[in-house]
Amino acid sequence: MSHRWGMAVDLDRCTGCSACVVACQAENNIPTVGEEAARRGRTMHWIRIERYYEGEFPNLRVKFQPVLCQQCDNAPCEPVCPTYASYHTAEGLNGQVYNRCIGTRYCANACPYTVRTFNFFNPVWDKPLDLQLNPDVSIRQVGMMEKCTFCVQRIKATEIQAEAEGRELTEGEPTPACVQSCAPKAITFGDLNDPESEVSRLARSRRGTKLLDELGTQPKITYLQRDSWDDKNS
Amino acid sequence: MERRDFLKLGVLTGATATLASCEKPAQQLVRFIPEEDFVPGIATWKPSLCTVCPAGCGMMVRILDGEAEVVRNGQRGLIKMGLAKKLEGNPKHPVNRGKLCARGQAGLQITYHPDRVRTPLRRSGQRGSGVFHAIGWDEALSEIVVKLQEVRSRQRTNSIRFVTGWVRGQRRELINKFLEGLGAPRALEFEPLDEPVLRRANLLDFGRPVLPSFDFARSNYVICFGADFLGTWNSPVAQSIGYGEMRRGRPGNRGKFVQVEQRMSQTGANADEWVPCSPGTEGLLALGLAHSVVMEKLRRSEQPAGVHNRDWAEPLTTETYSPTEVEKKTGVRASSIERWAREMADHPPAVALIGGAALAHTNGLFSALAVNLLNRTLGSVGTPGGVFFTPGSPAIKVARSLSQNSDFLSQLLSGGFENAEALFLYKANPVFATPPGLRMGEKLTRTPFIVSFSSFIDETSVFADLILPDHSPLESWLDDVPESGTSEAVFTLARPVMRPLHDTRAMPEVVMDIANRLGGEVREALPWKTFEEMLQASYAQLARSQPCNSTQDFDKLWEQILEQGGWRDGNCQLHLPEASASQFRVPEFSAPTFDGNEQEFPFYFQPYVSGAFLDGSVAHLPWMQELPDALSTAMWGTWLEVNPKTAEKLQVRQGDLIRVRSPHGTLEVPAVINPGIAFDVLAMPMGQGHENFGRYGSLRGANPMRILGLSEVREVGALAWAATRVNLSKVGQKGRLVLAAGALSEQGRDLELR
Repeated sequence: MSHRWGMAVDLDRCTGCSACVVACQAENNIPTVGEEAARRGRTMHWIRIERYYEGEFPNLRVKFQPVLCQQCDNAPCEPVCPTYASYHTAEGLNGQVYNRCIGTRYCANACPYTVRTFNFFNPVWDKPLDLQLNPDVSIRQVGMMEKCTFCVQRIKATEIQAEAEGRELTEGEPTPACVQSCAPKAITFGDLNDPESEVSRLARSRRGTKLLDELGTQPKITYLQRDSWDDKNS
Repeated sequence: MERRDFLKLGVLTGATATLASCEKPAQQLVRFIPEEDFVPGIATWKPSLCTVCPAGCGMMVRILDGEAEVVRNGQRGLIKMGLAKKLEGNPKHPVNRGKLCARGQAGLQITYHPDRVRTPLRRSGQRGSGVFHAIGWDEALSEIVVKLQEVRSRQRTNSIRFVTGWVRGQRRELINKFLEGLGAPRALEFEPLDEPVLRRANLLDFGRPVLPSFDFARSNYVICFGADFLGTWNSPVAQSIGYGEMRRGRPGNRGKFVQVEQRMSQTGANADEWVPCSPGTEGLLALGLAHSVVMEKLRRSEQPAGVHNRDWAEPLTTETYSPTEVEKKTGVRASSIERWAREMADHPPAVALIGGAALAHTNGLFSALAVNLLNRTLGSVGTPGGVFFTPGSPAIKVARSLSQNSDFLSQLLSGGFENAEALFLYKANPVFATPPGLRMGEKLTRTPFIVSFSSFIDETSVFADLILPDHSPLESWLDDVPESGTSEAVFTLARPVMRPLHDTRAMPEVVMDIANRLGGEVREALPWKTFEEMLQASYAQLARSQPCNSTQDFDKLWEQILEQGGWRDGNCQLHLPEASASQFRVPEFSAPTFDGNEQEFPFYFQPYVSGAFLDGSVAHLPWMQELPDALSTAMWGTWLEVNPKTAEKLQVRQGDLIRVRSPHGTLEVPAVINPGIAFDVLAMPMGQGHENFGRYGSLRGANPMRILGLSEVREVGALAWAATRVNLSKVGQKGRLVLAAGALSEQGRDLELR
């Protein structure tokens, strides 16, 4: 049975600590752009923590929401690409072939989640910071669009290992860097084709919602909304 | 063109390109023979430990082969070597259980930082000018030996001082043995993020001057006064793991979390109820809660666990701590206090904690004692779901200075630090992280001889006569004994995970070398040849004293410890002293005092520990500079947080440059309108405003320490860093404010797109 990778993010566990943001940067060779480019909104993070205030001082509630590529089943970014750089992989990921990308940025325009980032310049790592680069992930050059891959290199590595050992992947074996780093275990990753997997179970939760569901993009990330406390639920 | 011609041309141009590149010196580097074995392209994971903050998390480091430019025997060249690529938590480590925070993961960039000091340096310009030139190790060490001998001949060895940052385990042991051998006083510790007030309170209440650990995973109710325990405080990773379990780890049972503070922290943003109280009245609120809990328990004829004294409740039942009285001073509604007390009594285990700005008022000790008492009243001291202390094994000397006379900051405050003839600095940057009133820079200018082991030229090491760069943590032997965050004794130990890149030397071995050259008692104090040998000796001692460990073969055990990244002592479980009647002593409320009069300086100024930079010690890392702040989403700078109503009154808009003035100085920073801050409080993150800290961290933002007064926490002598008042005025232009939320095109148009 083929896999269909999905994610569940429990906003009741997420504390907004940003460990996932740095984990992603380290794993995927995401460059820093510097103050001026950041001011122009050109930071390259593939995952960001959105913060929403509800209410007014002092009756204030905050929601943190990590937002990354939703790996939509019906992805608006894919059909608009003139060079087929954005495509749908066999395992349901919204892939991006860097070598095909010619930088039209149509996909970024089409994406309602603004999770695609564009290389306005060649990335720079002041030596010897280049030694930190992960050789498993290619470096994207000027004019290329890039995005979250669900750490496809980590998924592939576990798949190859399991195949070499002649066995099926086990639950929790492939873990994207953001999932690995999350201390309160807010992010769960797994196979949506397996109805018994933790991620499938969470996707069925009564707190489960999809981001901008009304657009019909069919995201593969389920957000479990924050709960509130009352005397009865404990 | 014929295929053959094309190939010829290709060969020709290729050859020319090679020849041309030979002229560039960079291409003429020698190639060293690899010093280690590895399979190309195959990652290995090696245990190490995180030294970014005192939480002491265990790490696994991903190592892959690569080509690096290094220095070997004074010569620069290329080598194939194992390189650290990513830092993750060590799943076997009981503190962080496989997880690592943002700052810990970014610690990788310390090793590869382009501005690391790569060779020993000697000052050639004026003190503090930052003009240095490279010298050899031998020359540098001889110079130190000559100086120390000279001081010794004048019998002034008691004026040799060693100031470190937080340093635990055998490194501290080694430094103190060195000083003892020299006849110098023990090392002073400078850790701006430490909680000396909480230590003092725990010493008074529990006989242990240590930071607490919490069993949140089994708590049903958490009330926190000011501590950013999910972000930066104490052992944030361990606490975040427990928090996740408290919220969703037990089906059908979601614990409640209440946060009391004046400025909503990243932790406070997760609370079910977020409550601002008047600054410095947190302890009174805790006593008000304790009073109501006691009344509630008396009504139900319950007693806290471990209490047998019939009159235990007596001191708390007085009218002084009744909700209506407490409301008058704290500004928190009496009905809320009564409701929380009832909820806590209904949903045990409930636990309280305090930290951060709440302890940085002049009455911080009172507040800490009050929260300890609240925990006693709740019966949550040393019980599941409550507060406890991580045991230190009696077997190994937990070399950590906890007494006041080794605290550098309190010595500075009491004027006890003067006239050092020779000063050693290791992992401490007091010039940056102390208020201007302490005149740290002037003190260093007057010190005749300064040696720094810093890997970077920062505000403090810039004053040094000699900089002897330490290996990066990944290049070093490391050991640590975490103080909190786990219920069993744990010792973390790690060998270097990669070979050094630059002409640096490990601090412990440099100290041993100096001792050896000095000879006599100093040499005898440090009988080991390497730091590894010293670590091995201390672990051999540990193994001998563990009767349960039947492993006879120490070499085998040693390898096993290194493979796991440490040693857990499951037999050494937590325990607490028996509760006694005196532990229900009610601390007496004393009102906080503030620096600056209310008319001229109408706002309370609250610096807070930055989620990205802590106290500023990781502000040089580009990943941290470009990490959006959890609440403001700001990057690459400093800002001042203002309540929307206050901002409206003063006509301040988001991004306006404003001037904050205290009796001690002025800062200019852009404003961030924050709905989660009290009307009369202005908050600013610590960590930026470095004058000297590499290309990414220098001359960026502002340092709130620069405008703090020297108020002390009463009876502790610690710096009360939240006890300064300020005023605010507009400069009349926009400041440098970079926000992740909202692009440039939206700014100033009252829109926020993402």
